[in-house]
Amino acid sequence: MTTKGVTGDMDRKENEKPMLILKDIHKFYGNNEVLKGVSLEVRRGELVTFVGPSGCGKTTLLRLIGGFTDISAGDIILDGQRINDLPPNLRDTRICFQNYALFPHMTVAENVGYGLKINKWPKDKTAARVRELLEMVELDTFGDRMIDKLSGGQQQRVAFARALSLEPKVLLLDEPLSNLDANLRLVMREEIRKLQERLHITTVFVTHDQFEAMAISDRLVVMKDGLIEQVGTPIEIYERPANEFIAGFVGYVNFMEGRIESIDETTCNTVVNTEYGRLEITLEQDDVKTGDDVLMVIRPESVSLSLDCGDKSQNVLCGALKSYMYAGSIAKCTVTIGDRTMIIDQYNPRDAQQFQHADRVEVEIPRSVHLLKKK
Amino acid sequence: MATVELSLKLQASSGSKIKDFLNANLINILAAFLFLLLAFFLLYPIIAVLLKSFRGPSGFTLQYYQNFFSKNYYYQSLYNTLLLGVINTVVCLVIGFCLAYMTTRGPWILRKPLKIISLVPLIAPPYLFALSLIILFGRNGLITKMFDLHWQLYGFGGVVISQTLAFIPLAYMMIENTLMSLNPNLEESAYDMGASEATILRTITIPLLAPGLLKAALLIFVMTIAEFGNAAILGGRTPFLAPDTYTMITGESDFNMGSVLSVVMIAPCILIFFIHNYLLEGKQFTTIGGKPVASEPRKITPLIQVPFMIITTVAAGAIFVCFAVVFAASFYKILGVTHNIVLSNYLDFTSNQAIYNSIRVSFVAAVIGAIIGVLLAYVIVRGKFFGRTFIEMVSLSGFALPGTVLGIGYLLAFSAPPLKLTGGIMILALNCVFRFLAVGVEAGISKLHQIHIEIEEASADLGASFLTTFYKIVLPIMFPAFIAGFIYTFMTAIVSLSAVVFLVSPGFDLAAVKIFDAAVYGEIGIASATTMKLVLIVMICMLILNFISNKTRLGSSMKKSAAV
Ligand SMILES: Nc1ncnc2c1ncn2[C@@H]1O[C@H](COP(=O)(O)OP(=O)(O)O)[C@@H](O)[C@H]1O
Ligand SMILES: [Mg+2]
Repeated sequence: MTTKGVTGDMDRKENEKPMLILKDIHKFYGNNEVLKGVSLEVRRGELVTFVGPSGCGKTTLLRLIGGFTDISAGDIILDGQRINDLPPNLRDTRICFQNYALFPHMTVAENVGYGLKINKWPKDKTAARVRELLEMVELDTFGDRMIDKLSGGQQQRVAFARALSLEPKVLLLDEPLSNLDANLRLVMREEIRKLQERLHITTVFVTHDQFEAMAISDRLVVMKDGLIEQVGTPIEIYERPANEFIAGFVGYVNFMEGRIESIDETTCNTVVNTEYGRLEITLEQDDVKTGDDVLMVIRPESVSLSLDCGDKSQNVLCGALKSYMYAGSIAKCTVTIGDRTMIIDQYNPRDAQQFQHADRVEVEIPRSVHLLKKK
Repeated sequence: MATVELSLKLQASSGSKIKDFLNANLINILAAFLFLLLAFFLLYPIIAVLLKSFRGPSGFTLQYYQNFFSKNYYYQSLYNTLLLGVINTVVCLVIGFCLAYMTTRGPWILRKPLKIISLVPLIAPPYLFALSLIILFGRNGLITKMFDLHWQLYGFGGVVISQTLAFIPLAYMMIENTLMSLNPNLEESAYDMGASEATILRTITIPLLAPGLLKAALLIFVMTIAEFGNAAILGGRTPFLAPDTYTMITGESDFNMGSVLSVVMIAPCILIFFIHNYLLEGKQFTTIGGKPVASEPRKITPLIQVPFMIITTVAAGAIFVCFAVVFAASFYKILGVTHNIVLSNYLDFTSNQAIYNSIRVSFVAAVIGAIIGVLLAYVIVRGKFFGRTFIEMVSLSGFALPGTVLGIGYLLAFSAPPLKLTGGIMILALNCVFRFLAVGVEAGISKLHQIHIEIEEASADLGASFLTTFYKIVLPIMFPAFIAGFIYTFMTAIVSLSAVVFLVSPGFDLAAVKIFDAAVYGEIGIASATTMKLVLIVMICMLILNFISNKTRLGSSMKKSAAV
């Protein structure tokens, strides 16, 4: 590293500078505060996904970044330059609207080449670039089609190619897959991700679909009511959610209340006292201390289920099997422990039969449970 | 279950064969009856005009057409009319576009007020503008005298200006409608890719709007060349087809030449009707998720903003001034000449008598028109007989037909037995009914499209007869459409001039005709006061209509049919 010299260092510094910085962004529509102070740094080449329930302000945020809506307070910094007051046609961002907004009076090629034409590219260069883009999205034979003669997935590709035509610094995608049917959605999200990684293009992706968000992103930003609830990698968000809302938003969760009885500073061995007895876990967080009231975040797939075998080992609770639903790759079990119901996913349940008629089962709580501090 | 039901039904139906036949065919019988009405009161008068234009004292002749095309005067009249149509259409489209652009893309605070001002002329009879131009720029006009000008208001220029102001709302409504249905994301995408405002307009907005603009242009063109009042009041020595027809009939009693002029006036209308129907079929661009949404205001560049603002301000200002001037003039004998404020114009006996007559005629027209409109809509939507589309076409055509043509047609058709109607209020009312049928029918059709036929079938299934179903199910649902048709016919009839001016009998004046005469004879005060009374009546109708459409979701369909 040290031998690389000055220029290399500069390059690295340049590369570490965030591509897009949102600083405490507020947006009012009349008296309605739609964004209540959103701050985020998006790194170069990163795909960041804003995810949250409908109406939480995701589209508004994208429109602010794109320049279509005036910002009420805060700063948007693109590649080191404050762009608050730049109109969309002078910003080096490109947006893909949820409805694609393809020009219906133009062919596929004309749509893709629109930005090039506007920016006065010479004809031959434009044609070559359009061909390259259409090849990239596998629509090379569709250049002369009119837009309404394309399927939904093809329209989505055209919109994507059009947005990429001028190599923007930041690509903004507003629920790009929401108009496609379920299977196509899976295919397209993989394609988008592959292209994004290949082109190393900084992307802000918006969706209300938490699974899509987790599958596609480098980092997730979970939003609710105009506020960022948590920022993190998909794993961080799923395994270490910051609060109950997030824990529940990114997947099913079984909560169990308890109080921390002791924490061993060296081994991180932690004992949580619950109404069903003591549970031992390995603490991987430092925001809780002995004596805290906590919620244990127990994911359905992290729990293992076995038939009652009398061996009263650690972290094992006894419950009654209320229902057992075989659904192919998984089986969903409902177990009641005391007066609490727990959902447990069993993967690849080949030995499913043994549970089908059981009524007493053992539930083993994993040691890697995440704790939420109760307020 | 099913068999029991079936046998019950069979039992019931075997009761009376005649009743059964009626039940099955009532809708067809109704359709036939309505078609006869249309044929008699809409097609027959038009055919009468056509025949008259070919029939000389000794049978078929082309002499009158020869006459028309050989005389410089007629040629000039045709030329003026078409030129007026073209200029008026272009100017109205430009102004309408600027207004609609501002109210759909401009700053929030301008949207509402501009929209209101653009639509305000709707409450005015079109000749209000001719009147206000006389008050301002006529021989004794306020501005003429103030600056001691020596210009000639009466002529081509005056007609163009008053016509333009009168047709702004129509242009505005149609263009606004298409602009609203344009997905704002399309323009934003172009903006996003670096296009400037002007480039967006040129490459996205206008190309996508083209079918809508063309449609608006055709309609405005047809309506301008047929419009009678402004040209008749302000035309002066400049000949136009519509007023010429009037002079030909009332001045020279030359029905043959009057008919020829009418046919010449219909020809472009029919042409355009076909262009409209066949050229534009399916030409609207559709985009996914293109639900009408309000665009957020854009930072419009001065290059666009300044000319647009100038045009909209001038147009809006002119409309406002015209209203204000007529309002003011209604309190003077002649504004600018006499100086004491009087109420006598409002108390004038003949004026009030004319208003009273107008209300009576319009009321009768509205009742008949609304009933026929609802029935026609029902037959058109639910009927399955041959010629359904033809009935639809005919019933909607009255709207685009020049009023003068139907005026002469009624004179020719109904001034002699078997059906002598001239001289009564019936001929006036029926004329209005069939001219303005389109809106009632459209409202009915769109209302019917909201009801699933299953409801009716369910009712029929339960053994209800056609009449019972119609009475118990269809009528209540159609009631809002009926009321809307009623009020719309009423307020259109009460201001209409071009057809009834041929049909009024001496001693039975209508308000519109009274205003026309007063304006021509320089009784500005009376003309203004009578106009203001009409404005008030129309305004009340509008408020009621608005109230109803808000209550019944009829709003958009009414607005659409009013614009189409
Ligand atoms: N142009 C606008 N005017 C007024 N309110 C708006 C406008 N656009 C969005 N909103 C409001 O802002 C909130 C967030 O909307 P949006 O950003 O579209 O949410 P999301 O994309 O997360 O579903 C909603 O409550 C919406 O009603
Ligand atoms: Mg959204």
